[in-house]
Amino acid sequence: MTRRRTQQSTDGNLTLIDCDIHQRWKDDSEVVQYLPDRYKDRGIQAPEILYDNVAEFSRRDAIPDDGSKPGSDIPKMKEQHFEEYGVDYAVLTGNSYLNLTALPNDDYAAELAVASNKWAIDRWLSEGGAFVGSLLAAPQKPNRMAEMIRTLGQHPRVVQVVIPMAAQLPYGHEYYWPMYEAAEEMDLPIAMHPYTESHGVTRPPTGAGHPRTYFEWHTLLGTYAMGQLVSLVSEGVLSSFPDLNFVVIEGGLSWVPHFLWRMDKNWKALRAQVPYLDKPPSEYVTDQVRFTTQPIEEPDDPQHLLQIMEMMNAEETVMFASDYPHWDTDSPLYALPPMPEEMEAGVMAGNAQELYGLPDDPASLPTN
Amino acid sequence: MKKRFEICPAAELPPGKREITELNGVSVGVFNVDGDYYALKNDCPHQRAPLCMGKVTGTTAANRSGKVDWTDDGHILRCPWHGWEFDIETGQSVFNPHKVRARTFETTVESSEEEHDNESNARSTADCCDCGASGDEPPVDTYEVAVEDEVVVVYL
Repeated sequence: MTRRRTQQSTDGNLTLIDCDIHQRWKDDSEVVQYLPDRYKDRGIQAPEILYDNVAEFSRRDAIPDDGSKPGSDIPKMKEQHFEEYGVDYAVLTGNSYLNLTALPNDDYAAELAVASNKWAIDRWLSEGGAFVGSLLAAPQKPNRMAEMIRTLGQHPRVVQVVIPMAAQLPYGHEYYWPMYEAAEEMDLPIAMHPYTESHGVTRPPTGAGHPRTYFEWHTLLGTYAMGQLVSLVSEGVLSSFPDLNFVVIEGGLSWVPHFLWRMDKNWKALRAQVPYLDKPPSEYVTDQVRFTTQPIEEPDDPQHLLQIMEMMNAEETVMFASDYPHWDTDSPLYALPPMPEEMEAGVMAGNAQELYGLPDDPASLPTN
Repeated sequence: MKKRFEICPAAELPPGKREITELNGVSVGVFNVDGDYYALKNDCPHQRAPLCMGKVTGTTAANRSGKVDWTDDGHILRCPWHGWEFDIETGQSVFNPHKVRARTFETTVESSEEEHDNESNARSTADCCDCGASGDEPPVDTYEVAVEDEVVVVYL
């Protein structure tokens, strides 16, 4: 366990952008007020995760003084996380995704997404400071989401769209393309975050089927991301939307070199099936996809992880994420191995700053 | 030479309760497990999270027939980050007791050294020990003072 060298900026450069911070409401009514009248009585009705986590889902030490849920209290978050670690920007990613893709009613799912985004803008992004955020999208309703991206996406502190890792179809399918078109037009990357796998109308969380335990589900988080990424590459999403970026959140990293090598090998032999690609598939990923670190793998020898980061060109492709305030928060100071200077600068802040187009001074970013 | 710290009257730390306090600049969690007292550094060896704020719980063990038992209830401290399990008595992790362990400190219950001075001193010792008790408690009667003569002490 080695402490990171840097913590606070001394030269005006950003030193820490945390790419996965979960904010939530204290009470459902905060979001229900933004729902259309036809859904106000229904409120927020999304299935909870079916995999029990014996280590609990949120950190006990992150419970606010008023006893409300971790992640619901701005002063607590600032004091415990931003000030403690010197977070320059916190990319808010939402409240466990509401399990939107689990809902069979696509209209209700889309309106829940819109309502939660209006709440996030009013309650969190208007605070300014370190906060930048994501628009949650319900991929069941691509045209409605495209419209939302073009309107709410104009907020200066909205920096990406986030979709649940699991859906009814692999994300390369043309059904979803209207969302991608809107996101590219608005210059917003699309992030994928796990949670909804196996819930409601989505697919099982592993290729082998429905596992019994959270242990299994969490161990294989990266494999679901692989399924979505190979679809996005092979169906031509990355080549058709060359200015669109994707972010894989909460999938870890170490599978990425394996995944890229296998795609490139297969492309040499099976290129005829993926004629939309005019360069090796790995290059699309390296150019257009970013990976967040958490939950980072922890080999006995941290050098082995560093080697994997080198294999995937981490100085340009990897972005730090803590997952605050969830149970497996990775410490900005202790989670990652010591890195060469250029890689550390990219991973801890530079890559996210470039991807999201963030100014050096967070205070200069408008709040409305 | 270890330094002696009086944490609080034993009666204020009943079984199942904990007190997190700073001793010599070190954050320490003091636990009462079934009437025995233990202290651990509030610092997880994994990523240095505040270990002592975690859940006090038990754990599972599978016997040879494959039956799963719930064991050590109340003796396991689970870190609030990442959920690593530690034996509160020894500080040893459950998954690798010999290599991964939280730091522990000697903890006893003994008479307060300050009780021998005079009555006002003894009371001030109790007052400055914040065990989460409300400040609106009724005045301490003679009987309660006798109970609180015993204090939880940590050496580090």
